[in-house]
Amino acid sequence: MVAPARAPLRTDRLRTLNAPRLVAVELHADGSPAKVWRSNCNGDGQEAKAAVEAVVETVLEMWRIDDEWWRQLISRRYFAVLLEGGARVVLFEDLVTHEWFMQTA
Amino acid sequence: MAQHSSSAACVWIPLFPLRCEEARHEGLVALPVALLAPDTTRKLWQVSSLARHAGVKPGMTVSQAIGLCPTLRIIEPDPVHYDERFSQLLSSLNDVSPVVEPGDLGLAYVGTDGLDGIYGSQKRLVEAIRQTVSPSDRPSVRLGLGLGKFTAWVAASRAKPGEAIVVSPGEEQKFLAAQPIAVLPLDAGVHRRLRQLGIRNLGALAALPETAVTAQFGAVGKRLWQLAAGRTAEPVIGRIAPEPIVAAITFFTPVGERELLVHSLDQLIARALKHPRRIGWRVHALRLHADLETGVGDEDGGRGAACCAPTRSWLANILLKEPTADATRIAAPLRTRLEQSPPTGGVERLILEFTAFAPGTTELQLFARDAQAAARAGQQRALRSAAREIRMRVKRAVLYHIIEVQPWSRLPERRYALIDYEP
Repeated sequence: MVAPARAPLRTDRLRTLNAPRLVAVELHADGSPAKVWRSNCNGDGQEAKAAVEAVVETVLEMWRIDDEWWRQLISRRYFAVLLEGGARVVLFEDLVTHEWFMQTA
Repeated sequence: MAQHSSSAACVWIPLFPLRCEEARHEGLVALPVALLAPDTTRKLWQVSSLARHAGVKPGMTVSQAIGLCPTLRIIEPDPVHYDERFSQLLSSLNDVSPVVEPGDLGLAYVGTDGLDGIYGSQKRLVEAIRQTVSPSDRPSVRLGLGLGKFTAWVAASRAKPGEAIVVSPGEEQKFLAAQPIAVLPLDAGVHRRLRQLGIRNLGALAALPETAVTAQFGAVGKRLWQLAAGRTAEPVIGRIAPEPIVAAITFFTPVGERELLVHSLDQLIARALKHPRRIGWRVHALRLHADLETGVGDEDGGRGAACCAPTRSWLANILLKEPTADATRIAAPLRTRLEQSPPTGGVERLILEFTAFAPGTTELQLFARDAQAAARAGQQRALRSAAREIRMRVKRAVLYHIIEVQPWSRLPERRYALIDYEP
């Protein structure tokens, strides 16, 4: 018998990729992000060592997602932004908890 | 199915190619001799003891060697002849045991499980093995017997020329402990590092914790430790000798045109290569014979070195320098033979026979249909090997696959996930 080419999928071994990271955001008057602080965590993601500040240079795009209202509402306002230094990231505000998160673009 | 034997006898004829030359050129034994490398470097490959006493060493250029030893006799290598001689040796060893595994040129392992019952004692077995070696090689052959190939090899490498060392069952660890680390199959870098760590013999290596050696040297270290500690006994794996594969074509009318014969030959090679028995094997020796039209030019039969049959047939035996499964490479020497000494009459029937095989390489070249596929297979293999090595060293998963989970999701974190990479 030929063994399957891929290892069997076990969900307990899955690790999230591009998980949102909690950030603090300073807003402009129009509600768009102006500055971002993200905690510089250690490997376990638990202990915040220092906050890193980045200035938002440009908001490239914005959109909103309202989904899964039938179980636990997901309501987010996304901003694709260009940070000072050239990094391109995605910020979103959880409109349920009003927390801000950052993801890679 | 391959046959295995945990007890092994190692038959080692050091400097086998040089011994082959000495066997066919009388008087060479008394001269300082050096054999050139079979590649294009024109450097010395093997050097006789007389030449070595004069300061000549393998790897030297011819001019360096002649400068040191003006009477040095330089010999061009003849790899086909060495292969033939080695094949003869393996074939003779098969008379002693059905389980014979070839190593490098001049090195072979014989499975000895159950042979005590046939030969009565180890001494008689040793003698039987020695008798299979050609008389010219007997003074230089070294024999080693023990559990597993490594113990047998170490015993052979420690034996004096023409003698044997037998490592009794249960004595392996004691025997191995006293041997220098140079007997291990290690590269120069690992050897240097072991010496820097003050490890001079197998006993010192085996005294270290296995995990520490593995952490330092990875999979190689683990294997070295197991060999040094006598914890592993690699069995002798006998060669499976496939039956010859025959493909034949009968012509409606006798054929004398070279082009048509060559075309038919290509068809026969393609047909024989497709034979299921050939899968996993490269062709090493082949024979092409032709039944010739009778009644024409009988007085000319058997002309030429390759055309040897006075009974109106034509025969060409080919031993390929490199075993191959490539149709073009197989065809090349046969085409040359057809060109230089063609059949002396119209061919009624052309028969191609693959008579000897070598195991296919692990590079999947027999199955890869093109160079890209072979390259991909090579990359995958290298990746798997590197992943295993990393996992062995750090003992936890650090390599992951990216897999699609919900690629259609509007939420980026749900689209992909990581999973342990287990090659």
